[in-house]
Amino acid sequence: MKGGPVYTVIFMLVISAVFTLVLSLANAYYLPRIEENELLDDRRAVLYVFELDAEGGPEEVLELFENAVVSEMLADMEIYAHLDEDEQVLAYAVPFTGAGLWGTMRGYLGITPELDRITGLVFTEHNETPGLGARIDEREYLEQFRGLEITGELAYGPAGDDRLDAITGATSTSNAVLRILNNLIDRKIAELEVVLDD
Amino acid sequence: MTERIRQVISRNIWKENQVLRQILGICSALAVTNLMTNSLVMGVGLTFVTAFSSLTISLLRNLIPHRIRMIVQTLIIASYVIFVDIFIKANMPEISKSLGPYVALIITNCIIMGRAEAYAQKNPPIPSMLDGFFAGVGYTIVLLIIAFFREFLGFGTIFGYDISFASFELWTIMVMPPAAFFLIGTLIWITSNIFAPKNTKKSETGRKG
Amino acid sequence: MFGNGINPFVIFFASILTSNMILSNFLGMCSYISISSEYKTASGLGKSVTLVMVITNMINYLVYKFLIVPLGLEYLRYIIFIMVIAATVQVMELAMDRFLPDLHVKLGIFLPLITVNCAILGTTLFIIIRDYDFLQSVLFGLGSGLGWWLAISALAAIREKMAKNKLPKGLAGPGITFIITGIMALAFIGFSGIFTIT
Repeated sequence: MKGGPVYTVIFMLVISAVFTLVLSLANAYYLPRIEENELLDDRRAVLYVFELDAEGGPEEVLELFENAVVSEMLADMEIYAHLDEDEQVLAYAVPFTGAGLWGTMRGYLGITPELDRITGLVFTEHNETPGLGARIDEREYLEQFRGLEITGELAYGPAGDDRLDAITGATSTSNAVLRILNNLIDRKIAELEVVLDD
Repeated sequence: MTERIRQVISRNIWKENQVLRQILGICSALAVTNLMTNSLVMGVGLTFVTAFSSLTISLLRNLIPHRIRMIVQTLIIASYVIFVDIFIKANMPEISKSLGPYVALIITNCIIMGRAEAYAQKNPPIPSMLDGFFAGVGYTIVLLIIAFFREFLGFGTIFGYDISFASFELWTIMVMPPAAFFLIGTLIWITSNIFAPKNTKKSETGRKG
Repeated sequence: MFGNGINPFVIFFASILTSNMILSNFLGMCSYISISSEYKTASGLGKSVTLVMVITNMINYLVYKFLIVPLGLEYLRYIIFIMVIAATVQVMELAMDRFLPDLHVKLGIFLPLITVNCAILGTTLFIIIRDYDFLQSVLFGLGSGLGWWLAISALAAIREKMAKNKLPKGLAGPGITFIITGIMALAFIGFSGIFTIT
């Protein structure tokens, strides 16, 4: 019986069915939690570019977000705006997508309402090499962008008063980041400027 | 029984260390070893998958038709990896982000299938599970040794903590792929010297995957 | 978007040289180390890996786009990919036994190893992560395969030349193989200016 073609086929079917079922259950069980994590990550990212406290527990983060941030559709993008008590816009968080070294990078660029200064940069998704390109997630790298004035193209090395440093050993990833940002500033931010002027 | 367990431990961690002696599981051993934290997580993930797939394969060893055993083993291994992937995503989102696609590559780590083929399919469940577990531990230890040198010399940190008393020019090469090859080559050289008296003539062609 | 941003031929050449599967991504090491002591066998294995890579990546790409995504089975994708690879290898083994019996005698025992060759699953995963389109996927699969073939053939040729040399105790075998590979990887870094995947 064992080793016969019928047994083989039945065995394969049964074992596939069992494992798929178990995995489906695990997936269904954990999915809400995974989605919650993803939402929380996204919220933290937006708070980070607004220079708000993004490190608190889940409730604090969601509450802070609820109180200080609204989402708006501007220039075909879902943009988050940071409001003060008088409903005045303090900063916008513009989402971006672009090609990294190993895959798509997504994140937010925080920018003042006058669109002349960066308030913060954060990545929500990327596939860069762990330990190399993935260091774009490190605070040391991201903090360099805070308060950077948008005068022309962003570039590494001494650029005006600000210094931007690339990541050692991850030149391609570092360059990809600036290419995405310059692209974003050239196109989307320019569109946003037109919309805001109206 | 305890003697047997002791044997399983010393065999898997030292005498037949999967990475250094059997030359298995190299892909991921090299890819994640530029940071110690990533190496540790990868090691724990692999240990879990190896232990449980060895257990499962051993439990089913009398039922699996011989001809399709590779596919069945792959299926079992892949299921555990997906489970680990889902579990890390749900409970440790930060770590899941930093490991990226490497978690999926646990599936093709030859150690797991190696243990299944060499041990689990002819031994009872509990020893098989222990065997898989300690094979994973041996792998993790090697990963951490390599990662220690790469992170220390390449980034000047250990597990991400700055080693402020040691200020020296960082070796960028350590962060890059070639260093991993040099380090693992050297480690294998050292260990095979230690074992040299026992198996003096190990010809090159005598080795199989 | 990333997928459409890159010239497929750049991907092709980059995957052979600058992003070589073995030398810069460490994928497919097991068989690379163990089956590289003889040039002819190594080259044969390289050819089969290339073939499997092209075929499986084509199938996996189509399966992903037309089966996994529409049915929402993303969480099962690793199982499905590895099953496609296993099935392709099995079919190839049968075909080889039938039409190329000489090669089958030599490679027969290694063919099952191709299933667990991380380079193959790795290529598929990279294609999905990087959002390549069909042509890009095919050329990436072909390039990665050729790159793998190139690396294992070069290594086997060096090892054949070295077989008669005296080495320090304990270094012969895998030890020296890794060190040679390290030197090859260093040499391949030299290509990095020519093509970049960004």
